[in-house]
Amino acid sequence: MARHRFLLFLWLGSDALLFIGSFVLAYFVRVGWIFSSNFPFAPFLTIVIVTAPLWLIIQISQRTFRLTETQTDLRHFLSLVWSNVVGIALFSLAYFFAYDLFTSRLLLVEALLFSTIILWIWHMIFTFIARRSLWRDPAAFPTLIVGATREAAKLIEMLQRRKNPLKPVAILDGRGTSLMTLHGVPVIGKLDKLEETLERFHISHLIQCSDLEQSLNLLSVCRNRSLTYLLLPSVLGIVERDERVESLENVAVMIVRPQGRSA
Amino acid sequence: MQTFILAGGFATRLWPLTEKRAKPLLPLAGHPIIEHLINAIPADFPVTVSTNAAFAEGFRAWIAILNRPVSLVVEESKSDRQKTGALGALAEWIAQENIEEDVLLLTGDNYLGFSMEQFLAAYQQGTPLLAAHDLKNLSKAALFGTVITDPQDSTLVTGFEEKPLNPKTTLVSTGCSVIPKETLPVLKSFAALHPDNIGGIFEEFLRHHIPVRCFTFTEPWLDVGSFDSYLAAHRLLVGEQTLLAEGAAVTDSVCSGGIAIGRGSHIRKSELHNCIVFENCEIRDCILRDCVIDNSCMLQGVDLTGKMLREGTILRLT
Repeated sequence: MARHRFLLFLWLGSDALLFIGSFVLAYFVRVGWIFSSNFPFAPFLTIVIVTAPLWLIIQISQRTFRLTETQTDLRHFLSLVWSNVVGIALFSLAYFFAYDLFTSRLLLVEALLFSTIILWIWHMIFTFIARRSLWRDPAAFPTLIVGATREAAKLIEMLQRRKNPLKPVAILDGRGTSLMTLHGVPVIGKLDKLEETLERFHISHLIQCSDLEQSLNLLSVCRNRSLTYLLLPSVLGIVERDERVESLENVAVMIVRPQGRSA
Repeated sequence: MQTFILAGGFATRLWPLTEKRAKPLLPLAGHPIIEHLINAIPADFPVTVSTNAAFAEGFRAWIAILNRPVSLVVEESKSDRQKTGALGALAEWIAQENIEEDVLLLTGDNYLGFSMEQFLAAYQQGTPLLAAHDLKNLSKAALFGTVITDPQDSTLVTGFEEKPLNPKTTLVSTGCSVIPKETLPVLKSFAALHPDNIGGIFEEFLRHHIPVRCFTFTEPWLDVGSFDSYLAAHRLLVGEQTLLAEGAAVTDSVCSGGIAIGRGSHIRKSELHNCIVFENCEIRDCILRDCVIDNSCMLQGVDLTGKMLREGTILRLT
């Protein structure tokens, strides 16, 4: 099994266990370190186990399990809180439907608190481990950078610093830069070396950082070879980080919405 | 007289069209660019083409179907960084083949509109001759290597300037010259030091007090080095025609400007303006302006302007 698939399954499994574990912890904190006969543990655990896969689906729909994304930002934290709130709601509903009973409200609050804190810490630890594993040679996602620009240099430096699974291994520059390397990544040549570079470095991802006029051809190569294509917005002249990929009547569009505009 | 055609460049500015073929083999008005040169060379001149290892197979395939014998010299380089240089390749061929004849030296990606007969008639035995195009515009001349001639004798070259800021002349050097057999030793020793300075050989002749003559022409000359110059050459040769190769078809479509459609390509319900479509393409319900579409592309429902599309590109608007 590919390294990243194994890590993904490991992540899903460990998250489910920690979600269940957070509820178990909340149970014992609430009722004391005993199996209460007033609030039996087995039915409680059963409902938590039933809820866990549904909670995982919520997490997946929130795009949480993406090894290429940072887990330390506010967006990820809020997404985790939201998933856990939905998870708690699902648990309450399932418990009510199964036993015609409401569970302890304070237990739910504690379960939300524990699951959020535990999973937040675990996600940071897990991605730290996973990124190092995926970064190790041979890299899980050898990435080709097109364009030896300052934007490309910034991107490479950031990917290297954060040990992002997309590991830059080669650079091609349509204009023929005189640079031999960029942050230690070799500049192979111009775009005429594309096929050779894709073969030689077993490229899985291509990030276009310049040469807008060649977008169609780079996309064509990526489609033919089933590579993932990424485009830096700066290639289109969008440099202020106010772009979003959204949809307009179900057609994907890139939207640049300057601050102060509501629509 | 021997003919030596330089075709060893990697043409990176014309990527992706030159991804799998050399620039001189790009189609121009239904034939490879180099074939327009070959057709102008007198039939009794032996022809040698110099290329690199990356494009050798393409040239072998082209020579196999050509109606005159052409020898191929392959420089063992597979990238720009490994190139030994055009002059180096010429000197190596002269040494290896023990050439003791005058050499008609041509650049494989040039289109020359003048009569080769007239050019060769201007050659005086033992005096290097080069073809200089009169751009009749000083600012345009500043973009090229200029040829300075004697005010008293307009065919006698007195100097050269590479892309001068303030050009003294509107004559620019082209990829066509004759190197007399008497000057080959000078060429060989210069090539040993400057294997990539093909233009510099004429300055070297002047340094050795060897007179250099120029043949001035005003007919079209095109150095196909970029997408724009390739399309310009296409427009010049094709004019307002629509050229269809064997098995090509255009149905329910509007064509304007110069259009060249390669073998087996089909255009349906589309609008094309100044386009070159290579072989086995399927284009349906598209609007294409100033585009070059490589082999086996499939386009449907797209509007493109000023694009070169890579071989095998599939674009279907759904």
